[in-house]
Amino acid sequence: MDYTKEIQEIAARLFVEGKIDVFVGYEMTTYSKMLLPCVITKAEDVNRLMFNERSEYNVANMLVTEHTRNKRVGVVAKGCDSRAINMMLTEKQLKRENLYIVGICCDGIKSDGDLQQRCTECSIPDAVVYDELLGNPHKKREYKPSDEIIRMADKTIEERGDFFNEIFTNCIRCNACRNACPMCYCSSCVIDRDTSTYFNAANTPSNAGMALLTWSLHLAGRCVDCRNCERACPQNLPLRYLHKKNEQVIYDNFEQHLAGEKPDDRGALYKYSLNDPDDFIM
Amino acid sequence: MSEEKIYSAETPKIAAPENWKPVIMGFLCNWCSYAGSDLTGTSRIQYPPNIRIIRVPCSSRIDPSFIIKALQTTADGVLISGCHPGDCHYVTGNYYARRRFLVTKEMLKFAGLHENRIQYSWVSAAEGAKFAEVVEKVTDDIYKLGPLQRFKKEELK
Repeated sequence: MDYTKEIQEIAARLFVEGKIDVFVGYEMTTYSKMLLPCVITKAEDVNRLMFNERSEYNVANMLVTEHTRNKRVGVVAKGCDSRAINMMLTEKQLKRENLYIVGICCDGIKSDGDLQQRCTECSIPDAVVYDELLGNPHKKREYKPSDEIIRMADKTIEERGDFFNEIFTNCIRCNACRNACPMCYCSSCVIDRDTSTYFNAANTPSNAGMALLTWSLHLAGRCVDCRNCERACPQNLPLRYLHKKNEQVIYDNFEQHLAGEKPDDRGALYKYSLNDPDDFIM
Repeated sequence: MSEEKIYSAETPKIAAPENWKPVIMGFLCNWCSYAGSDLTGTSRIQYPPNIRIIRVPCSSRIDPSFIIKALQTTADGVLISGCHPGDCHYVTGNYYARRRFLVTKEMLKFAGLHENRIQYSWVSAAEGAKFAEVVEKVTDDIYKLGPLQRFKKEELK
């Protein structure tokens, strides 16, 4: 999966035609094995753009920075990136007419030669919203429960509690996970308001637990499983456990909903059905 | 699984102190369950005094963080109650809430909380007797589980 040449050509063409002001893609740097997101502002720089199986980051949150906001933007989008863009379009954070999306039919991201675990479980590898599609579309894949859910299924309440307690104890509350998340675009977030006594800023396990659980529940039905949060975490916490559980519950109970799969779909918790399960309610 | 086994699944690290009484935080919707609890009182039906009631405009007003905050500070269990489906004062509020409740409950179960710590009920304004039953059941469940150890706010040193 190497679309470097095609993307450079498309970006150069768009700049020459004057269709875009900036282009968001990936570039090679000297300080990471992976390709990092970059913002190109002129046609001479398009040679910096690259795309291969090491383009793991989700570029969707680059679309609401000061470099790209209210500009016409060209963007490269894999399956998960395009789902995030779809969600942001639905939530009115982006304007479709300002975007030129180069969709990718993604074969999976590799780190050290192996396919990443999230990509082996991915059920939507192709871009769902695009102006131009590169690569051959994949056959429809079934949704599989993730490895994390299967691993936690046999554990007792006590073991699960200890597992999460360790996560909350190790969390340093830097909020890098929240900042890296494409769906967390709120300019002031409940979990780190300076004056907040509701979300206490003290770095204790219970406060970290409250912040992380609330964060994951605010993302329920919107998380696109791009794993930007885990990559950003300086403590390497397995944050994907939190999101995957929500995704699984929502998929099983609410009409097999997956975030960002369809346009104009605000997420499972923003709609309802009369037949939702309520056997847990007295 | 036997009942004893279910309740011993969440083993307390510290034994419950003598004369310990559980605190249950109740989030009741203004239009049905709060009026229902009022009816329980005016009908002079006895129910356990362990519940602390917070009135909310609708069951869909309840953010997941309310539940976690209640458990973190004082509560050993949380009871959330709203109008029956179809009876919501705001027409669809409790349908949205129902979805959120399921996700919240599953998430907290996943993170190591016993499922009986968070309970939901539909209580209408005419169901005073049902409200007393619900509170009795929840209090009974929390007595069996003992004081909550997880998610609790740390003591200042």
